[in-house]
Amino acid sequence: MEKSKIHPDQKYIEGIAANDSAIIRSIYKNFVPKVVFYIMNNSGDKDQAQDVVQEIMILLFNQAKANTLQLTCPFDAYFFLLCKRKWLNELKKTSNKGVTINEDFASINESALELVEETEQFDEKQQLFDTMFQKLGDKCQEVLKLSFAIKSMEEVAEKLNVTYGYVRKKKSLCIGQLTQWIQEAKNFKSLKNN
Amino acid sequence: MNEERYILFDQYLQGEMTVEERNSFERTLSENPEFAAEFRTFKEVLEQLENKFGHEQEREAFKENLSAISDKHFNKEKPKVFPMRPWYYAAAASVAILFGLFFFDYNQNPSFNDYNHPEQAHFTERSNTNENLIEAEKTFNERKFKEAIPFFEAVLKNKKTAEIQYYYGVSLLQASQYNKAETVFNELKSGSSVYKEKALWNLALLKLKQKDYNGCKQILQTISQDYEDYDEVQELLDALE
Repeated sequence: MEKSKIHPDQKYIEGIAANDSAIIRSIYKNFVPKVVFYIMNNSGDKDQAQDVVQEIMILLFNQAKANTLQLTCPFDAYFFLLCKRKWLNELKKTSNKGVTINEDFASINESALELVEETEQFDEKQQLFDTMFQKLGDKCQEVLKLSFAIKSMEEVAEKLNVTYGYVRKKKSLCIGQLTQWIQEAKNFKSLKNN
Repeated sequence: MNEERYILFDQYLQGEMTVEERNSFERTLSENPEFAAEFRTFKEVLEQLENKFGHEQEREAFKENLSAISDKHFNKEKPKVFPMRPWYYAAAASVAILFGLFFFDYNQNPSFNDYNHPEQAHFTERSNTNENLIEAEKTFNERKFKEAIPFFEAVLKNKKTAEIQYYYGVSLLQASQYNKAETVFNELKSGSSVYKEKALWNLALLKLKQKDYNGCKQILQTISQDYEDYDEVQELLDALE
């Protein structure tokens, strides 16, 4: 990722990560009405628009917290495109007819498109991870949750009433299990794409 | 599952290997693409876990705040209606007449109270146990600004964020402690936070409250049109003309 041209609108991303109410309110005030208008003009209603925006905001929070979100274009273009594509996906999922949308290609900002694709990939990875995590046994889930919430493995061991050595090994193996499943999913995907 | 391998990954990342072990691990990484790919995935999984459980509390606080703001926004788009009882109309009308009698034909300047509507503060997250901050928020939201001031001062001693400074400044302005308020807003004005434009707006209000109409106007003219409440800036500018 190019670090050179970070857009001043990065302040919105930082505000989201910091749960800054003033920033969140200004996003709703300045950028959300356009999204609502678009969704309502494309077979949606206000409640659906509210949900799409909220899901995107949570996605942005997660990506910002992972420090992988660096705006190289205006927030407006990025945010709108992200919400729009999310809505089109929802439409595709619910209607069995093909959805025809008149894309105005001229209006698409190229660097916005690139960023949107990165965010969508982040979302996809996160969803894959969540699915795999749910497949783990209860013990693994518990050890991992505690290990990453508490950080000190000594404390985790104490809390679970087991030895430090056991919890360390268990943690490695549980992460290993996730790694194996995700690796398989990746290999399968690249097989499918080739 | 290749248990040995995952234990090795963990030891390597925790820096628990001897120099020889490290070298041999890195050699395998560069020679065995399958091993390297799996190591990359292992690191990604670590990041995911870190992101998912390391910020759990913050994420919950964010979601809560987000849905409050979102609900407010989506209901706010309906036209604002203030329910008024009939006798309010009578009272309002008589007040209007009284004012009319007093101010008719006078050159009326805009007043501070017309433009003064400090928002509610929401800085205490669930995980927050800073008592001074909780008290500051409570007294501020109850509009007991004078009482809020010492709480803000106590908080700012340890934790100076633009958000807290801003609400401290607003409290000072409400309590008519002009000099202190001006210092706070001037500092915010030259910072880079979101409170920059808001600080300017409050500096303008501060001048307005002291009936320094010219000073007010000069400050208003420096506010960027991107400011979220620019409508009000424009309105006040027009009223000052």
